[in-house]
Amino acid sequence: MFCQMLKGALMRQKGKLSMIAFTMTLGVSLATAMLGVMMDVGDKVNQELKTYGANLSVVPRATSLLSELYELEAGDGEKDTGDSGAANAQKYLAEDELVKMKMIFWAFNIVDFAPFLETAATVGGQPVTLVGTWFDKHLDLPTGESVDTGMKRLKSWWDVTGEWVRDDEDGAMLGQNLAVKLGLKPGDFFEAATPDGGRRKRLEVRAVVNSGGKEDDQAFVPLRLVQDISNRPGWVQRVDVSALTTPENDLARRAAQDPNSLSRKEWDTWYCTAYISSIAYQIEEVVTGSRAKPVLQVADSEGAILQKTQLLMLLLTVLSLICSALAISNLVTASVMERSSEIGLLKAIGATGAAVALLILTEIVLTSMLGGTAGYFVGLGFAQIIGRTVFGSAIAVKGLVVPLVAILVLLVTLLGSLPAVRMLLSLRPTEVLHGR
Amino acid sequence: MTKRQMYMKMLLSSLLRRRSRMTVALLAIAIGATVLLGMMTITYDIPRQMGREFRSYGANMVFVAAGEEAMLRLTDVAEAAALLPQESLLGVAPYRYEAVRSNMQPYTVAGTSFDQVKKTSPYWNVEGAWPSGENEILIGSDVAEFTRLVPGKTMTISGRDARQRRFNREMTISGVVRTGSVEDGFLFMHLGTLEQLTGKSGEAEVVEVSIAANEAELSALAARIRERVPGVAPRLVKRVTQSETSVLSKLQTLVTLVTLVVLILTMICVATTMMTVVMERRREIGLKKAIGAENRSIVAEFLGEGLCLAILGGLLGVVFGWGFAQTISMNVFGRSISFNFALVPITILTSVAVTAAACFIPVRRATDVEPALVLRGE
Repeated sequence: MFCQMLKGALMRQKGKLSMIAFTMTLGVSLATAMLGVMMDVGDKVNQELKTYGANLSVVPRATSLLSELYELEAGDGEKDTGDSGAANAQKYLAEDELVKMKMIFWAFNIVDFAPFLETAATVGGQPVTLVGTWFDKHLDLPTGESVDTGMKRLKSWWDVTGEWVRDDEDGAMLGQNLAVKLGLKPGDFFEAATPDGGRRKRLEVRAVVNSGGKEDDQAFVPLRLVQDISNRPGWVQRVDVSALTTPENDLARRAAQDPNSLSRKEWDTWYCTAYISSIAYQIEEVVTGSRAKPVLQVADSEGAILQKTQLLMLLLTVLSLICSALAISNLVTASVMERSSEIGLLKAIGATGAAVALLILTEIVLTSMLGGTAGYFVGLGFAQIIGRTVFGSAIAVKGLVVPLVAILVLLVTLLGSLPAVRMLLSLRPTEVLHGR
Repeated sequence: MTKRQMYMKMLLSSLLRRRSRMTVALLAIAIGATVLLGMMTITYDIPRQMGREFRSYGANMVFVAAGEEAMLRLTDVAEAAALLPQESLLGVAPYRYEAVRSNMQPYTVAGTSFDQVKKTSPYWNVEGAWPSGENEILIGSDVAEFTRLVPGKTMTISGRDARQRRFNREMTISGVVRTGSVEDGFLFMHLGTLEQLTGKSGEAEVVEVSIAANEAELSALAARIRERVPGVAPRLVKRVTQSETSVLSKLQTLVTLVTLVVLILTMICVATTMMTVVMERRREIGLKKAIGAENRSIVAEFLGEGLCLAILGGLLGVVFGWGFAQTISMNVFGRSISFNFALVPITILTSVAVTAAACFIPVRRATDVEPALVLRGE
């Protein structure tokens, strides 16, 4: 009997119930889209923030101070040429070890990296800092995978007039100020020599770079050229690493001070979370004699902006969910009110309040579930539209969204029907049938 | 009783006698208007609020000396800083570098104004305290590690002043600064102390400026300074400005799109609720037609009711929407939101339009049908 009545009601009231189903579809699609975007917005914004450049700087452990000071005193002449291999091992990092950075636990989070080796040189009698680096280097990992990395990705904010240098050619990219000073433009050739004039190299200017920083006074050339000219084969001075990280918390701060102070369990948690300190620790593990320092200007700000964005999206999601829940329950109330005369009739011929409430609730829950399922898929579509338009990549809607949305649908429908059901129970058949 | 009086009476009694239905309708409109106003206020204010957050990346403009000069005159800097909009200017930090020795080791010491550095470079991680007294010094973390000095210890700084006379000064280390870049290898002291030691004042090598402004505004400011203050060459820190522009515009598009989706969905929800409330009254419409009401007057009555509800709901929405936007702004950014009053009429007009459309459709449908059919409930 119950089933028959339910079927009858569902069939007869197609119009009104489809309105509820439609609103539910809208509400749920909103919820799905917002939850999907909210949960993925951290990753997406993190990717965007990579345009700020490296957040980790890997330097040799022994000379982290001297190399910084040395940079300031560049021009005093080349002190490092001809040092023995053992001494070099303390002052430099080995180029062939860098590939190991893509094999650590958090390898996937290391977006880009580029090594640097500087040397003083003269061009037409003027002192110039030559910086050797990777521009767009292709690396084959022992695991069979391959990666492309280098300055081209790391310094995406550079304003480049001309073409990026290829790593296998004798080209150079000049900083804007340097290019003006030397009177060179893309396509020109120049000869760089060591300060003592011992070694020379003819290079083609491929591009002029405007970076707004100290790079405007430097010349960038492929790494092997600087290694050759300064007689430091296979060595690099510094590596800039750009990594996707999780904002720091208490645990990460304690670990950054001293990883050994953590308990076994804390250590596991820390090691297996993409904190900047744990990524730094893992890099130090694989690159001999290295020290990985977080660049706080980038790392700290990244954390702050990520947290703000996530909080903003979270609050927007919560508030718009509340609003859509209110809108849906409002509609449910309205549609139950509309049927007061029918309900009055049911009660008049002897139905108990509970039986009527059960009938109405089942009807509405069934309709909502139908609408909710449709809404979920529409919401996935909305999330993809947002992802494609804003970030140019699909939004990965997490599996967690499904149960969340399901609970939401059930809660909203039941809560939304509550005022309606209360009204329905207090309904007096005679009054309603009179139309009062 | 004139026609107008009758109309008003019907309108009023309809609104008052059917209180529960009208509350539902009013609530729907108010929710819609709240979302509308709240989301629009946030979208409008996001670039300003987020722009402030992005200032944690540090200076976005630097002043260097123009032409062949090596040093900037601080009087020129003050003149240039006065040209910047004061309400969005966060800090102006001068840096002057000198080579000194301590314990036979060469160091670079920077003289600066710490109050300003705290504002332009909020990412400096200082262990210990910032220098307050004249004889206090802040050392980079690499220096601290190399010399094994900790806050509270003293170090003697020696060097030569402008007239090549030697100076020696014992300084107390107030703290250790860690940034992960070049600052880790420097020493920092008050610019006044450095001027006193070297006997040369009123100069700086670089001045870092942090302004809450986008790239185009910064370029305009830089052009103005270049024109008015010939001694100062302003340069934009491309890494910061360009990235900020790109990330910020993405965030704004994101919020705008989300707002659009939320608005469309909420408006449809409002419309469906209104339609349900009106549809319920088909019998009433039939009855009115049966006793001789014209279609036009019935439509006018329903629209009048809708208008009342829409204006009231819109006003409620303005109040709650402002609260909504304010809550988000306070929670996320810790700052109060700037309110755009042009949004108030927009919100109310949108509520009126949506409500009118939602009333009109079901009323038209009901009036088009024969009264007898409607009354019989078919």
